[in-house]
Amino acid sequence: MASINVNELQKSDLPWIIEYDESKCIQCGKCTAACSFNAISPCVEFRKSNSINSPDRKFEKVLVIKQNISLDNYCRGCGMCSNVCPNGAIKAVRNKDDKYSVAYRAQKADSFKKGGRSNLNTEGRTLDKIKIGRISQMTDPSLDAQRHTFELRTPFGRVLKADKLNFDTCGEVLYETTSLPPVSWIYPIIFGDMSIGAVSWRMWEAVAIATAYLNEVMGIPVRMCTGEGGIPTKLLKSRYAKYMILQIASGHFGWNRILKAMPDMTEDPAGIIIKIGQGAKPGDGGLLQASKVARYVQEIRGVPKADLLSPPTHQGLYSIEESVQKMFLSMNAAFNFKVPVAVKVAASVTSVSVYNNLLRDPYNIVGGFFLDGLAAGTGAAHEISLNHTGHPITSKLRDCYLTAVKQGRQGEIPLFAGGGLGQTGSFAADAFKLICLGANGVFTGSMLLETAGCVGSDTGKCNACNTGLCPAGIAAQNDNLVKRLDVDKVAQNIVNYILATDIELKKLMAPIGCSSLPIGRSDALITVDKHISNRLDIQYAC
Amino acid sequence: MCRIGAVKSKKRMHPSIALKLMQSQQEGHDDSGFAFVMQDLGGIFENYKELPLLSMAATVEGTRLAEDILREIGFSRVMQWSPEINNQKGLKIEAMPNYIFEVLQYPRSFKHATKQEKEELLIDTAIKIRKTLEEAKAGYIYSFWPDVLTLKEIGSPKDIGIYFNLWEGNADLTAGIITAQCRQNTNYDIVRYAAHPFFLEGYTGLANGENTFFEKNRDYQQKLYKGYIGFESDSQCLLYTLHYIRKILKWPLKYFKHTITPLSYDEITTRKDREILLRIKASLANLEINGPNTFLAVTPEKELLCVCDSKKLRPVVIGKNKDTVIMTSEVAGLNDIMPERDADIYPNERETIIVKDDLTIERWLQ
Amino acid sequence: MTVCKIKTLKNNTRMSTQELLQTISKKIEEGVTDFDIEACGQHDIGGSSWTKSGGSLTFRITNPGQRVGAMAMDGTKIIVEGSAPADVGWLNSGAEITVKGDGGDTSAHCAAGGKIYIGGRTGTRSGALMKHDPKFEPPEFWVLKNTGSFSFEFMSGGIAVICGYDCNELQSVLGNRSCVGMVGGTVYVRGRIYGLASCVETVKLNKFDKDFLKSGMKHFLQNIGRTELEQELLDFSDWCKIVPLPKESKINKITVKEFKAAEWFKDGLFGDLVEDNGEVFSLAQPGKARLRTPVWNKTKCVNCKLCIKNCPQKAIKENYLLIDEKCIGCGICSAVCPVNAWTIS
Repeated sequence: MASINVNELQKSDLPWIIEYDESKCIQCGKCTAACSFNAISPCVEFRKSNSINSPDRKFEKVLVIKQNISLDNYCRGCGMCSNVCPNGAIKAVRNKDDKYSVAYRAQKADSFKKGGRSNLNTEGRTLDKIKIGRISQMTDPSLDAQRHTFELRTPFGRVLKADKLNFDTCGEVLYETTSLPPVSWIYPIIFGDMSIGAVSWRMWEAVAIATAYLNEVMGIPVRMCTGEGGIPTKLLKSRYAKYMILQIASGHFGWNRILKAMPDMTEDPAGIIIKIGQGAKPGDGGLLQASKVARYVQEIRGVPKADLLSPPTHQGLYSIEESVQKMFLSMNAAFNFKVPVAVKVAASVTSVSVYNNLLRDPYNIVGGFFLDGLAAGTGAAHEISLNHTGHPITSKLRDCYLTAVKQGRQGEIPLFAGGGLGQTGSFAADAFKLICLGANGVFTGSMLLETAGCVGSDTGKCNACNTGLCPAGIAAQNDNLVKRLDVDKVAQNIVNYILATDIELKKLMAPIGCSSLPIGRSDALITVDKHISNRLDIQYAC
Repeated sequence: MCRIGAVKSKKRMHPSIALKLMQSQQEGHDDSGFAFVMQDLGGIFENYKELPLLSMAATVEGTRLAEDILREIGFSRVMQWSPEINNQKGLKIEAMPNYIFEVLQYPRSFKHATKQEKEELLIDTAIKIRKTLEEAKAGYIYSFWPDVLTLKEIGSPKDIGIYFNLWEGNADLTAGIITAQCRQNTNYDIVRYAAHPFFLEGYTGLANGENTFFEKNRDYQQKLYKGYIGFESDSQCLLYTLHYIRKILKWPLKYFKHTITPLSYDEITTRKDREILLRIKASLANLEINGPNTFLAVTPEKELLCVCDSKKLRPVVIGKNKDTVIMTSEVAGLNDIMPERDADIYPNERETIIVKDDLTIERWLQ
Repeated sequence: MTVCKIKTLKNNTRMSTQELLQTISKKIEEGVTDFDIEACGQHDIGGSSWTKSGGSLTFRITNPGQRVGAMAMDGTKIIVEGSAPADVGWLNSGAEITVKGDGGDTSAHCAAGGKIYIGGRTGTRSGALMKHDPKFEPPEFWVLKNTGSFSFEFMSGGIAVICGYDCNELQSVLGNRSCVGMVGGTVYVRGRIYGLASCVETVKLNKFDKDFLKSGMKHFLQNIGRTELEQELLDFSDWCKIVPLPKESKINKITVKEFKAAEWFKDGLFGDLVEDNGEVFSLAQPGKARLRTPVWNKTKCVNCKLCIKNCPQKAIKENYLLIDEKCIGCGICSAVCPVNAWTIS
C-alpha cells in the first residue's frame, strides 16, 4: 500500500465526496461506466475476515467503488452515477470544507478554468427585487392573456428618427425617397451565441432545428445567433439562413466558409453580430480548450487541435470611431447593406459611452446593441474572470436606455440584454422586466442548455463545460458523450420552453393592459429596494 | 373617464351648446370642471381672424407679467373682451381673479414676416408667458393664436356656466367649431392645464381615456419640439402626436392613426404600403398609445377628426344634420340637442373619421 | 291604469340618476306599473324592479343613459324610443327590452335571460359573456343591423341574432375579431363576416334553426316597428350560425420530430462533418457507446479467471476474448485482476 503524505491531495480536499453504500451495491459497473470524468473506479479492498480472537489474521478481497483522488479526474457532482445506479448505492455529496481551488493552484501553477456561470452571486439579483406593480385596475382594462391578441415583435436594425426617414408625399400617400437601413421585426428573445465547439454539434443542431420549427410551424420569429465557431455551409445555403444571426468575434473563426458560401446563399442572414466581449468574462477573449477541438471543429474553423484563444479585442480596432467606421462598414458591406449589423459587448462602466458613440454614428450602420451582464454563462473561462470581472446587466441596460431618452433617441439603436436571465427560474419575468426598463429584447444561451438537460448549477455543480466531458452531451466533444444528447427531444424542449415563455410574457403584458411590447414602460415596475428604486428610476414600494 | 364633445356647424354657435351637449352625460364625469375651445370665431371676434387672440386666466400680478412680456416683444392690444361674471352665492367654482381674452397686433417688425415667422413668434411668446406665470404662480395661458378662444375652469360645469353666463345664447360670443370637456378629475392632480381640450398651434385635441403609454409618449415628446410641454394630462400626448405628424413631419393625416395604433406586423406585411408602415411602426414606436382612448381633434384646416384605440374601449358617436356635425361620448347628448338627424356614425377601432370644412364626412379605414 | 310621466330636465336643471331611480321605486311601491320617462342620460332605468303582486312593469323611455334595463327582471318591459348608449340590458335576467334605434357598446353584456331587441346597430363587445342558466329560458339578443368589433367575446350561452340589414358597405356585420373565447351559445348571422376567432366555426342552418328564426323574427320586427322586412330577412340563403368548435377539433401542429423528418437536412446539419446516425446513447450503454474500453494483455495473464467471474456483463469469454457488444467499460476486469493484465483506455 502506498504511503500517504499529509501535503498530498486528499479525498477530503475535493469539492464532492462520493458516498457509497456497499450493502446496496450489486457491482454492476454502471456507475463507473457512466462517469465521464473518470472520477470513480472499481477497486479491490482487502478486509480482515475473521474475529480478533482468532489466532491468525485472515483477509478477504472485496470489490467496491472508490472515488479517485486526482486534480484532473475528480468528481464534479454531476450525479450520473446515482442516475444510473439501480439501487441508489452511490451519490456525490458536496464537501463544504473543500480545498480543491488551493490545491489546484498550488500544484499546477496555473489559473483554474471552468464553464458555467459565476459561483459568487451572493448579493442577490436585482431583477428579483422588482415586481410588475402597475396593474390595470379601473383606470384601463386588463387584457386576457389567453384570448386577446398580443404582438411580441421588436425591431432589429437601425431605426431612424421620423424626420430622418425623408419620406415624400404624393397626394395623400407617403413614399420613400432614399434607401433606409434594414430593420427586421423579430421575437424579443434571441437564442444567444454559442459556438460550434463550445457546444456539441448535436446541441447546436437542436437549437437550429428549434429555431426553424418555431418560425415555420409556430409562427414565432425567433432568431439564433451562431456564435463564433463557423456555421455549416449547408445551413448557409438553405432557407433557414434567414433565421441566423452570424457572429464575428476577435478570432474570426469560420468566416472563410461563410464567404465561400455567399454566392450560393438564397436568403440573407437575419443579421450580423460583432462580438466585442461577453458578460461572463469581459475583457477576456474566447477560450476553447484543445480537448474540445474535435476534428469537425478543426475543419469548420480552419485550425489545428490546440487551445483556441480568441484575443480579447479585434486586432484591427483601436478606437470606438474606428470600430464603427471600419467594422460596421465591412459587415454592412458584406451583405450589401441589407442585413442589420449589431454589436455585442460585455456590460461595463463604459457601456454608456460606447452606446452614445454608436447613437451618434452618422452612417446609420449600427443596428443593435447587445449588452451582456456578469451573470452570463460561458463554455470556458478562467475562474478569476468569471467570478470577479463584469458588471450586472440591469443598471447598465437602464443607463443606456436613459441616455438615449435624454437625447430623445430611444429606440434608434435597439437594445438587447442578456446574462443570467432565468437564473432563479423565471426567464419570462426577467425578460419582461428588462423590456420595461428599456430593452427591445433579450438573448439567452444558458436557458437553452438547461432545457437540454444541463446538470450544472451556480453553486459549483458540474461546471465542466470547458473539459469536453459534459455528461449530458451538451458541451461535450467526445463522440460518445455527444451522442447521449437526443436532438429531437432537446429541440422539442426548447420549443416548448419558448411556447411557455410566450404565454408567460402575455400573462405579464395583459395585467398592465399592453397588447404590444412595453419597451421602456418602467412605470409598470416597482421595487421594494430603495437603492434599486433610485438607481433605476422606478417607483419605490413598501 | 370624462365626457367630451366637438361641434362643427355652418351656423355660428354659442358655447351654451356645449353645456347642453354635456348635460345628459353627467354620470360619465365627476362634475369637477368644464373647458372649451372655440375656433372659427364669430361675434365680436369676427373681424380679427388674422390676429392672435390670447386666452388666459390670471391673478392681477399674472396679468401684469403677461402684459409686460407682450409689450416688450412689441405686441399691441387691439381689442379686449371680458366675460360678464355672475358671482352668485353657492356656485361650485374655483374662479380666477381675471379672465383675459385679448386680440393683439403683431410687433411692427413683423409687418412683412412670413406666416411661419409669425407662428414661431406666437409659440415662443406663449411659452415665455406660461413659464413666467408658472414661476410666479400667477395664472394660466391656454392659447395664443388667431381665431381661437379657450376657457377652462375648475368646478361644476353647470355652475361654471352660470358664473360666466354661458347658459344663455349671446351673439357676441360664437364660433363655427366648439370642442368641450366635462372633466372627471384626471388621474393626477386637478389643475387647470389638465382640462381638455388642449391647444397647440392650430391643433386642438381632447380625449376620453387612459393613455397607458403616457410615460413612454412623454419621455419621447419632451425632446421632439419646444411646444410639447406641460403633460399635466396623459391625453396631451395625443395632441402632440397629431401636431408632430402634421405640422412637423408634414405627413398626410391618415398616418396619425398608423402612428398611435400601428397595425400588427403580420397585417402590415400583407399590404402594399408595408415599407412605409413598418418604418413608421419602428421610428414612432414611442408614440403608440396602447390604452383605451377616444380622441377628437380640430385641425388648422377646420376639420374635425375622431379616432379610437385599437381595442375600441371608449365610447363615441357622431351625429349629423344638414348644417351641423356633433361628435360626443354618448348618444344621449345628441338626442338632447339634435333630435332630428341622419343615421349616426359609430367609428370603429380601425377608422379615422374626418369632418371636412364643408361638413362632408369621410371614413378612412386604417 | 294610470301612467306615471316623469320629465327629468327642466330649465337646465336635471334630475340625477339617483333621484330618478328613487322616484320610480317609490311610485312602484305606490302601485304604479306603467312609466313614461323623458330621460336625460340617466343610467339604469328600468332595471332591478318588480311589483309585489308579481304583475308586469312597463317603461317607455326617451333618451336614456347607459345601462338601460340593466339587471332587469321577469315581467319588465322596456321600450326605448330612439337610441341608447352603452350596456343596454346588462345582466338582463328576464325583461323584454326594445331599443328602436341603435344600441351602444357592450349591449346585452352578461345577459342571462329575457329578450333584447335592437332596431339599429349595436356597439363593440356586444353580447360579451352572455350565458344560459339551464333552469330558465336562454337569453335572446336580436339586432337588426350589425355589431361593433369584439362582439360575443367569451360568450358561454344564449342566442344572438344579427340580421345584417342595410350592411352592404360593411366588411363584417360582426365587426372584427368576433367570438374570441366563445365557449357556448349560438350566434345567427346574416351577411358578411370577417376576422372571426379561431375557436368557433360557422355552420349552415338546420330545420330547428330556421323554425326558431321564423318564430322569433315576427315578434322582433313588431317590437322595433319594421314588420315590412320580414320576408327579406327570412331568406335563409344569407344566414349561417356560429357555434364554438368542439375542444377535440382544435388543430394539432406537427411535432418537432415530424418537422425534422419532413423539412430538415436528410443527413443532419453536420452529416458531412461527423459520423452520426442519430442514435441516442444511454448511460452505461455497452458496445460502441461505452466511454472506455478494456484491453487484455495475454503475456501478463495468469489465467485466474477472476475477470471472467466478476464481469457484470458476462462480456469476457473463457478464452479472455472481449465481447464488445456486451462490455460497458466499467473497469471491473481491471480492478479484480491480480496482475494488471487488463488496462482501461
